[in-house]
Amino acid sequence: MKRKNKKAFHGIFNVAFCGLVYLFLFLPISVIVVNSFNATTSKPYLSWKGFTFDWYVELWSNTSLLSAFGNTMIIALVSTILATIIGTLGAVGMYKYKFKGKGILNSLLYIPVVIPEIVLGISLLTIFSNVNIPRGMLTLILSHVTFCVPFVIFNVRARLDGYDNSIEEASMDLGANRIVTFFQVTLPVLAPGIGGGALLAFTLSIDDVIISYFVNGQTKTYPLKVMESIKSGVSPDVNALSTIILIGTIVLVVLTQSNLLKKKKEE
Amino acid sequence: MEKKHSSHQFRSNTLPALVMVGPVALLLVLLVAVPLVYVAVMSFCTTDEYYNVVFKFSLANYGKLLSPDYIKIYGQSILIAFITTLLCILIAYPFSYIIARTKSKRKQLFYMLVIIPFWTNSLIRVYGWRTFLGTNGWLNNALQALHITTEPLDFLYNQGTTVLGMVYCLIPFMILPLYTAIEKLDGSLLEASSDLGAKPVKTFFEVILPLTASGIFSGSIMVFIPCLGYFFVSNILGGGNSDVIGNLIERQFKSGNNWPLGAALSIILILVTLLLVKIYKKLGGDMDSLGV
Amino acid sequence: MKKKIISLMMCAALAMTALTGCGGTEKKADNGEINIFVWTEYVPESVFDKFEEETGIKCNVSTYSSNEDMLAKVKSEAEGTYDIVLPSDYMVQSLIEQGMVEELDKEALTNLSNIGESYLNPSYDPGNVYSVPYQGGVAAIAVNTAKIDKEIKSYDDLFDPSLEGQLVVLDDYRAVIGMTARSLGYSMNETDPDKLAEIETKLLTLKNNVKLYDSDSPKSALISGDANVGMIWSAEIALSMEENPDIKVVYPEEGAYVFMDNWMILKGCKNYDAAMKFINFMLDTESAQLVSEEFPYLCPNTAAVEAMGSDYSENEAKNPPAEVISSGEYVENLDNETLEIYNEMWTKLKE
Repeated sequence: MKRKNKKAFHGIFNVAFCGLVYLFLFLPISVIVVNSFNATTSKPYLSWKGFTFDWYVELWSNTSLLSAFGNTMIIALVSTILATIIGTLGAVGMYKYKFKGKGILNSLLYIPVVIPEIVLGISLLTIFSNVNIPRGMLTLILSHVTFCVPFVIFNVRARLDGYDNSIEEASMDLGANRIVTFFQVTLPVLAPGIGGGALLAFTLSIDDVIISYFVNGQTKTYPLKVMESIKSGVSPDVNALSTIILIGTIVLVVLTQSNLLKKKKEE
Repeated sequence: MEKKHSSHQFRSNTLPALVMVGPVALLLVLLVAVPLVYVAVMSFCTTDEYYNVVFKFSLANYGKLLSPDYIKIYGQSILIAFITTLLCILIAYPFSYIIARTKSKRKQLFYMLVIIPFWTNSLIRVYGWRTFLGTNGWLNNALQALHITTEPLDFLYNQGTTVLGMVYCLIPFMILPLYTAIEKLDGSLLEASSDLGAKPVKTFFEVILPLTASGIFSGSIMVFIPCLGYFFVSNILGGGNSDVIGNLIERQFKSGNNWPLGAALSIILILVTLLLVKIYKKLGGDMDSLGV
Repeated sequence: MKKKIISLMMCAALAMTALTGCGGTEKKADNGEINIFVWTEYVPESVFDKFEEETGIKCNVSTYSSNEDMLAKVKSEAEGTYDIVLPSDYMVQSLIEQGMVEELDKEALTNLSNIGESYLNPSYDPGNVYSVPYQGGVAAIAVNTAKIDKEIKSYDDLFDPSLEGQLVVLDDYRAVIGMTARSLGYSMNETDPDKLAEIETKLLTLKNNVKLYDSDSPKSALISGDANVGMIWSAEIALSMEENPDIKVVYPEEGAYVFMDNWMILKGCKNYDAAMKFINFMLDTESAQLVSEEFPYLCPNTAAVEAMGSDYSENEAKNPPAEVISSGEYVENLDNETLEIYNEMWTKLKE
């Protein structure tokens, strides 16, 4: 009986604690959602002037905001894919092989994480302008890949930490070549790490503002648009777009979740 | 068998190593090492009257950065980063532990709920705190409506709000590695420990904590260091009153227009970080075993 | 499992990209485009829209928060990234000296006659060879009289200990240090080390009074009540007065920080004729009115001032009295060593 009580107490504590953390995470988001329905038209859009859907309509005529959002999605997708491939290969390669300069490479890896983004942004800018690569989509993607790769590698490495080399050896002993082994044996084991890394890379990329600020040229991304609008108080149509993005991601997560649950039940 | 095995290891390690490590090496050398060397060189330069960088060797920048005024800001910045990291660990560890070890079918959902907020632009979210905590913000209005306070309280624009914003922005970087590390824990190990009569506290300190230390460490790196540089948080929530090193660098590259000084600041920051990593290595041993 | 989620998310992201790609297709500009780099909260969207409609020239607009900000960004980008900039007086001079700007084609400036005599031929660009004025203003004082009992008449009053934690000031070192210098009776462009030391001592006493630094939209803090006194741009005060009638504008007795911002064309401009068209368009009376409606700074366009009537001309915050401007002081370019001292003071204030 006593034990049961204790367990129940634990359960309640767990739920309450997690609930508080989620509240903390979602509180500013609720501010955004509420303000996207605010009928106010005067900057800085703080006082509540009634409920309206107008901003959701207004949003579709704000072409510069929409195209900035499109740019952000393209950059995030391309750089996540590139960073995930490069990072996964790199992590496995660095784990498995000994080579000259491994130590240096290892320390280099920390640098994009370690240095403030502004330094990476400035240093990338100086290089791009010295080599004369026109600033824009290309430089944005290159920069985003650069700061995403280490995060992919960290995630994959955390997985490799408990990785048993012998299953790979077994696979090769059974006659599979390196490539088959990599895809059939190594990748599935690392998948959670790779997935986590990719997700993190994507999250970092769509949110990056500091590095993009220096290497964007005339290409606007969504965060850069936000940075400009934040100076004068975030306008409700920006809040409206954020709310749409939020709802989109939530719907997506719920859909995948219920799909997974259904599949589990069927099994 | 033995022979075949060793020939596998030996035969052609160069090519696969090159294929796998080559791209990342190329990327890091061209887009990290070379630019940073450039910044390092710049840190020994000066500027002319139009703020152009002049390549003339000078130690003046570093001399300036050792003045007490700057050291005070480093101290403040490191303090903010330290408190932020500590708070992140205290919140993220139990949280990650609960969601990583839950038997609920919705485990994946709990994990995703951590990430979803971060798909919304961080600047707007930090600004959301400003709306929430302002003099006429939600919190003050609620407190007054409930007659808990009569006058609006001053929440905004101090070190506390800067720390709050930092924790808010950086906590997923603590949760994610911890989640990964805790999820990897072998349940039978914990059972074995308790079967052997270990109290939960003992199990935690002698089994769980050492096994998840890698998560804490990589989480701390990912929280502590960006904290030194996240100038936009202290701009939006600190009102410019609680500068971190990132604000100093930003100022030199922007309004101050003294790039060499900013470069020198960056170099100092990099050195501080390398020092931290070194200290860790001395104290905690091998980095690789921690999986960072 | 996680992989599935991720691949699904990627698909959704792709779909979103495609969607916005469709929604975001912009009407094709036939007559080229110009890249314009202006201050935040300074040039209304409606003016660009009107220009695009009338000429078919597309405007790509980016914004900056300070002159130095603008200079840093322009210098770090390839020539031709920005065509038009909007620097203040002293920066105009600096850009000319550095050879970064093009001469303006006087023949294309048919609307120049709208600008008042007193605003032409400034000392920083004699003969308006490179620049024409857009708007000006004053770093004035805003007081929320419902919350602040103390009578505030000067920059010096802002240092009063009773104002602890009440101030929003410009995040601009020349403005704040200049204000301190004026309060001591010195020039905003002081170079004498002894006087600068005195200025620094006084400046550091401001620290406790400052709630926040904000150059982009300091009116926000006044309107929301986060700050009750401000040392901010005059039009920001005018706008906050519209939201909260308790807020009053005060022009400091010591003589204020005044400024004038100007249109310029950068070297390497890819579409010079279009850029000239834009600048001439901005000198138009109607454009100036549109601008004043949204950002009511000191308007040098006398034709527009007449057209706007008393709503503009009798509002002291929108239209600073002539003696405020004449007794005011402009920021000047200083030598590197002095600027370094200024920068150090600023760092000390903000640490």
